[in-house]
Amino acid sequence: MVLLLIAVVAVVFLTGAGSALYPPAPATDQAREIASLYDIVFAIAVAIFVAVEGLIVWSIIRYRRKPTDTDLPPQTHGNNFVEVLWTLIPTVIVLYLFVISWQTLNNIEAVSVDPDVRVHAVAGQFQWQFEYLDANGQVLATQSVPVADQGGGMAVPVGRTVYVTLDSPDVIHAWYVPRFLFKRDVVPGQTNHFEFTLDPSEAGQTYRGQCAELCGTGHRVMLFDVLALSQADFDAWLAALIEKSNATPPPLPSGATTLTLSAENIAYDTLELEVPADTPFAIQFANNDPPGVPHDADIRETDNTTVVQDQPTIDGGTSTTYTYDPLPAGTYTFICSVHPIPAMTGTLTVR
Amino acid sequence: MATHALSPAAVAGYRGGLYEWLTTTDHKKIGILYVINSFLFFLIGGIFALLVRAELAAPGLQLFQNEHVYNESFTIHATVMIFLFIIPMLAGLGNFAVPLMIGAPDMAFPRINALSFWMLPLGGILLLMGFLTPGGAAAAGWTSYPPLAGNSPLASPGPGQDLWIASLVLIGTSSILGGINFLVTIFKMRAPGMTLFRMPIMVWTVLVTSILVVMATPVITSAIVMLYIDRNLGGSFFNPESGGIAVLYQNVFWFYSHPAVYVMVLPAMGVISEVLPVFSRKPLFGYKAFVFATAGIGALGFSVWAHHMFTTGAVFLPFFSLMTFLIAVPTGVKMFNWVFTMFRGQLTFSTPLLFAVGFLTMFLIGGINGAFSASVPVDFALHDTYWVVAHLHYVLFGGSAFGVFAGIYYWFPKMTGRMLDEGLGKVQFVLMFIGFNLTFFPMHILGVKGMPRRIADYASGAGWNDWNLVATIGGFLIGLSMLPFIWNVFVSLRNGKVAGNDPWEGNTLEWATTSPPPPYNFDRLPEIRSERPLFDARHGLVGHGEPEPGPALLEQPAPSGEVPAAPDDEAGVGEQTTTGEDLETKR
Repeated sequence: MVLLLIAVVAVVFLTGAGSALYPPAPATDQAREIASLYDIVFAIAVAIFVAVEGLIVWSIIRYRRKPTDTDLPPQTHGNNFVEVLWTLIPTVIVLYLFVISWQTLNNIEAVSVDPDVRVHAVAGQFQWQFEYLDANGQVLATQSVPVADQGGGMAVPVGRTVYVTLDSPDVIHAWYVPRFLFKRDVVPGQTNHFEFTLDPSEAGQTYRGQCAELCGTGHRVMLFDVLALSQADFDAWLAALIEKSNATPPPLPSGATTLTLSAENIAYDTLELEVPADTPFAIQFANNDPPGVPHDADIRETDNTTVVQDQPTIDGGTSTTYTYDPLPAGTYTFICSVHPIPAMTGTLTVR
Repeated sequence: MATHALSPAAVAGYRGGLYEWLTTTDHKKIGILYVINSFLFFLIGGIFALLVRAELAAPGLQLFQNEHVYNESFTIHATVMIFLFIIPMLAGLGNFAVPLMIGAPDMAFPRINALSFWMLPLGGILLLMGFLTPGGAAAAGWTSYPPLAGNSPLASPGPGQDLWIASLVLIGTSSILGGINFLVTIFKMRAPGMTLFRMPIMVWTVLVTSILVVMATPVITSAIVMLYIDRNLGGSFFNPESGGIAVLYQNVFWFYSHPAVYVMVLPAMGVISEVLPVFSRKPLFGYKAFVFATAGIGALGFSVWAHHMFTTGAVFLPFFSLMTFLIAVPTGVKMFNWVFTMFRGQLTFSTPLLFAVGFLTMFLIGGINGAFSASVPVDFALHDTYWVVAHLHYVLFGGSAFGVFAGIYYWFPKMTGRMLDEGLGKVQFVLMFIGFNLTFFPMHILGVKGMPRRIADYASGAGWNDWNLVATIGGFLIGLSMLPFIWNVFVSLRNGKVAGNDPWEGNTLEWATTSPPPPYNFDRLPEIRSERPLFDARHGLVGHGEPEPGPALLEQPAPSGEVPAAPDDEAGVGEQTTTGEDLETKR
């Protein structure tokens, strides 16, 4: 029985049959610690599963009632020895698991006094923003494009300690990157934090992250990417981001129509706009919601999904001027890409 | 006292069929009403589950162009399954079985019993009426964490969330009343000789469950009343903008909802602890250890709630991790007790045993994959992913729901006088067992690979496509497995094999009376000398010391007569043993 058990566990591990139940390759020092803890928990779990499930299956095959079974089987009411045994052995196993879990926990929760990079991640419905902070907590630059497909992402240098603080202006979100084997809730009114260090061999990798705590209708679109860069690439990336943050918007082409639009309480002040056809135009856009609630005004087809002209989001409490290329006559939708709800979906008439 | 309800005058007038069912205070009829009502809500909850699975079958939005409706679907699925299926279904089986098992004529408070039942359909209708309101039904998940469950425009502004609160307050009140009723019944209405340690395990599990319900349910009620005040009356318990604490709700919510997991699983454990010995022809291995393990789970169950909140950053992690690991020990003790009950037995694979063995094999997985989340760092990886969805379904579906079906097949003959068809039962079991594992085992893989819960869609490049499709196919197999069951019930009610008093060679008192039992339950009770009075009546007291041959069935004393009190008897039993012979003559 014991030999069979060892054989089955060995087969599961050597053939990789258990690999489907393995977490993805760990990318950070912390994730590696979690992955090796997972290995131990998984090995014990497989052993217990095989032993007990085997006992169940064996019992139901071996002890089927046969036609010759007219007499009662032995009426065993219990056995103190085995009962003490199967109380004590699991107690020892779970205490062992508790101790190694606690040790790992202390390692991954450790925070450096002076981290190399500080990022303040703000999660609002339904968008991530990453503020890069200096040692005094002053904002150097804000990355408001969270995913790599749109040229954004949260870039961090490999081999350096990255200290992340988390805040939410609205509901609870969670910062989750599967390859970090880690998530932490983003709770309004409470600043959470954690630290990670990417393995130096990971430079050039991109990791998909996602909100893991139900946060409303757009929960599934709260994606972000973490970009692992070498120190030199990261320095250049951050310098470019700082420059972009400080840049003034390009001048408006002459002859352009300028409209005004504002957003407050996650609603536009108007849902009807009109501009002349085949002429560039601009919208002076004010976001009057609190900081951490980003909005924008994209132009889409009237199906509300096909993007015609995209604009970057701006944070609550700021304003900007969006310039748009000429549009042929017709009806379009202007919409907040962060909050595609009726109160932030208007009609743009071009004639 | 319950005797009054049994006096001939109480049932003297003729009452028509439907009127009788709507006004009954008979615990058996109320139990059956619970079972029927819970099964209907099981079907409703199941339809929402199939909608969710259909949406997730492949990447891209297929079914729900409005993702808010998707969020409503999984919210209502979980709320219905937990509060309107599992909890009341097990309460219903308990309602039917417990008074019979302890030799009582009814529950202690028959009218309160009826009241607790009738709150359930009302609560369910309130919940579902959310779909008729602007903004739809509740959509913040069955956990309804604020601020998402608050009233701001992008959270839950509509009345659906308020209906969810009202519904849960009603259902909670029903639970509390039912819990008190069970406690009084079990403590005060046991037949002579039925000492606490001769009670069937089912009764023990209902006893511990009722203690959990009475202690914990007021806590969730206060949590959701505070949520209501925040939403409608300008309160700020959970609103950080005005000084509230968002995580406070989670603490109060899980202080109930973790013990509620044991409310949902302990009576199912009780059911299979009745089924396994009967179909193994052996006593339960380690009866007392089992009782202490049940009590231990109940007690430890109050100290693990924050393991649902490891990632909030507001929990003292080592304590809750340790307690969560420790609760695996009494659960493991039970598992070994069950397996060793079958060990060296003579197993007859009737449908109840099939479902009980199904419970064992899958609850084992649900216990083991739960230990992963007890390890805090591993939980950081797995929390709020499909791993947790797999875990909770292995406990609540693979465990509780299979236990429920074991109980339905086991007691259907007692409830109706007819047997369910064995062939159809086996078809249902096979479909359900395969469907269940196809649906929920792949969710472990999805969770480990990083798929979060409660998302309406996923990128096709994420590597989650195949297993999601498998899970959806399995989900529809589970749905299909309900058809043979429903057909079985209809066919067997009309043409099923007549059961007789004791079709399974049962151990416990309910098999000593007719099927279905008379309104007052027993004409006479066998002598109760162990936890298996009927087994003793059939075979003598094997393994209980001196076998005592002779007449096993004792005539019950007349209503007014003195009862020969057993040494550890309780006061007042003389009144309970009324059996209503007068009544019998009038029927």
